[in-house]
Amino acid sequence: MIEIKFVLNNKPCALNVEANERLLDVLRNRLGLMGTKEGCGEGECGACTVIIDGKTVNSCLVLAPQVDGCQITTIEGVGNRQSPHPVQKAFVQVGAVQCGFCTPGMVLSAKNLLDKNPQPNDKEIGVAMSGNLCRCTGYDKILRAVKLAAEEGKG
Amino acid sequence: MNYFQPQTVGQAVNIAQTFEATFLAGGTDLVLHMQTGKIHPNAIIDLGKISELKEIKETDGYLEIGSMATFAELGQSELVFQKALALWLACQTMGSPQIRNQATLGGNLGNCSPAADGLPPLLALGAEVRLISREGDEVVSLETLLSRTPLLSQGTLIREFRIPLKGLQSGFAKLGRRKALAIARLSVAIAIELEDNRVGKVRVALGAVGKRAYLSEILARELSDQELNEVWIEKGIEGVQRVVREALGARASAPYKREAVSGVFREALGTFIPEGGTKV
Amino acid sequence: MNTTVVGSRVLREDAWGKVFGQTKFPADVNLPDQIYGVVVRSPYPHARVREISITQAMEMPGVVAVLSAKDVPHNSHGVLFRDQPVLADYIRMVGDPVAVVGAETLEIARAAAKLVQVDYELMPAVFDPEEAMLPEVLPLHPELCPTNILYHMPIRRGAMDKGWALADVVIEQDYRTQHIDHAFLQPEALLAYVDERGHMVVQTATQYAHYDRGEIAHALGLRFSQVQVKTLAVGGAFGGREDISLQIIAALMALKTLRPVKMENTREESFYSHSKRHPMRMHYKTGASKDGKLVAMEAKIIGDAGAYASWSINVLRKSAVHATGPYEIPNVSIDSYAVFTNNPFSGAMRGFGAAQTVLAYESQMDLLAKELKISPLEIRLRNHFRVGSTTATGQVLTSSVPLDQCLAKIAPYLQKGEDT
Repeated sequence: MIEIKFVLNNKPCALNVEANERLLDVLRNRLGLMGTKEGCGEGECGACTVIIDGKTVNSCLVLAPQVDGCQITTIEGVGNRQSPHPVQKAFVQVGAVQCGFCTPGMVLSAKNLLDKNPQPNDKEIGVAMSGNLCRCTGYDKILRAVKLAAEEGKG
Repeated sequence: MNYFQPQTVGQAVNIAQTFEATFLAGGTDLVLHMQTGKIHPNAIIDLGKISELKEIKETDGYLEIGSMATFAELGQSELVFQKALALWLACQTMGSPQIRNQATLGGNLGNCSPAADGLPPLLALGAEVRLISREGDEVVSLETLLSRTPLLSQGTLIREFRIPLKGLQSGFAKLGRRKALAIARLSVAIAIELEDNRVGKVRVALGAVGKRAYLSEILARELSDQELNEVWIEKGIEGVQRVVREALGARASAPYKREAVSGVFREALGTFIPEGGTKV
Repeated sequence: MNTTVVGSRVLREDAWGKVFGQTKFPADVNLPDQIYGVVVRSPYPHARVREISITQAMEMPGVVAVLSAKDVPHNSHGVLFRDQPVLADYIRMVGDPVAVVGAETLEIARAAAKLVQVDYELMPAVFDPEEAMLPEVLPLHPELCPTNILYHMPIRRGAMDKGWALADVVIEQDYRTQHIDHAFLQPEALLAYVDERGHMVVQTATQYAHYDRGEIAHALGLRFSQVQVKTLAVGGAFGGREDISLQIIAALMALKTLRPVKMENTREESFYSHSKRHPMRMHYKTGASKDGKLVAMEAKIIGDAGAYASWSINVLRKSAVHATGPYEIPNVSIDSYAVFTNNPFSGAMRGFGAAQTVLAYESQMDLLAKELKISPLEIRLRNHFRVGSTTATGQVLTSSVPLDQCLAKIAPYLQKGEDT
């Protein structure tokens, strides 16, 4: 077992993990954070996206000991019913949510984009969201929601 | 399983000498292979905390890229854009934003998939690789390294890539089944010496047509030292189709790739030579 | 009439839970003391199971139970016919489940599944639906039909010889479509347990909870009232969650062990185990007169049902009914077939058989237009269904056929396409 310490959704967290444990399994099975989803387990779908030190990554391809000393944001650390994040608000308003399985990953990719680049153009939005697959929508509403969130942020 | 997280290259190499360990770079291939049971490492040396391996810098005639520089970092680097356009372009389309944030150039070489996006540009640009092992330091051209089996002996660490700054113009294009998250079905990187409309030395590297990316000697010979014009481009297309045909033989994908490579070759040229053939 | 409901914009109430990551999909629910189930699947497309040896798997610490065909009270399920085994001793496709391992952890269950030794007697497999139709090929479901032709739907309208006599231009072509997976983003997962009433509770993502309930009850020999299926959030389905996947297997494990059972497919297991879109082979012959009017059409459509019937009859019926496309043709002869093979089984998927024939009939229209030297738009304008049209099945369309409006809308884009 390896002792790791990291900051999870702004709270310090210390755990003993196995060397071959995936971050995704640690989040879901040990910490009970079920918002991070496993869609493919091989870095294709982006449903398990989390933000580590300001970068989106697929948590199914991260070993838990790799995040020692890191800052991690999962969907549980973004917004709530009283104060939803502008991206979450826009997803609901535009109707960018269908089955919802890809949604947490989509929200995190969009949030991270806007954190870095509050006024992205359409191409930048497209690239930022290109690692998250959705099988229900045609992506159109998702891209519109990110755009709306950016516009709301402007005002 | 032992897990080590050294802070320096020296520590990493020392650990590698004592344990039969596997180096962990970005993990996008390694973690997956561990998960599916394809490999069972005895020990892991995580290189992620060694800051000196992440450096991208210019030093006396070389662009030096630490093996742990990620595709995202390379793809956002002004230096890489200016000095090694082919590599910069490859970094824009590899995987997805999430994968680019994790995956490293060193890992791309270490895993050495036939479709590795980073290798054709490095080959075309004449990159050297600095390796560190118990035998000491070794600087070897990537071309030579890729002809070795196994690629790396046990415990050998990929320290950095060194791209000689010879003022080459370079470009890259790949064929994937979709825009994002596409594994290259075929990739072409080209680097040329270009003065006005005169082509000097030419280097063409191909990905996903063999077991490993490789540099085509035939194309270098046939295309070097000539006038840059549409005739030259057509000659290049004819040549690259022939090279791909010979490399793939009777493989099922051969007819498709032989045809497609002409478009990919033209696209790769187009990334740095505008239509009509005048220098950028 | 004004109303506050129809035509008004509403927000999806469930969207909030989803954007916060709070919505519970079946993989997200657990119970204390649960065990984990992993299925052993056949790597062969056609085989009989001679013997299953579970000794090695059972010896592994942490393994609770290993179950196979002999442990299933009534070993069958299916949406139209109960032709699919819960745990197979006769294999009809790669991926057929032959055993299930229950263990204290998922890792142990996966490792133990590799230790289950299955002795297969391999049999010749048939993958080509046209070959499977030949009378000398042994049927895969003799109890259901004497040959591999599960279904034949003939449609006849008018008189073919009269139709062909009117045709100035005839296009005859073969078309093929491939297997397609729904690839819904959430792989199959569920939690099954026996509750305080002694009832079997299965929490899962399904398109068809009341059917699942019936099939679980039937296979396990329980009354309907003893089985409860709770549908959690469904992470995409598109037809792929209409058939039973892990529901009965997990319930069986829960019944035998009296422990809550958690099961989750990997993406690879998901691909192996659920239905696919029917690959179709379509032979089309279409004739038109000089004035660009369709006069005759013959179509033979062969749908690959794969190893089990699932919804194949309904799907190939729909293919037949939609075989002319939205075009009026006075003389029509259509034969649509669903055929068993040892391929992955085909079932419901978006469009339900109506999607595949589009490739054939629209390609025919383009080829006819080319031959007649009129535009692709023009040939469609001359033949599309209108109010009052009669379809190949004899249905008279009495309302809501606004194809002229659709074509008018897309005309500028078609024009643009022709220019480039």
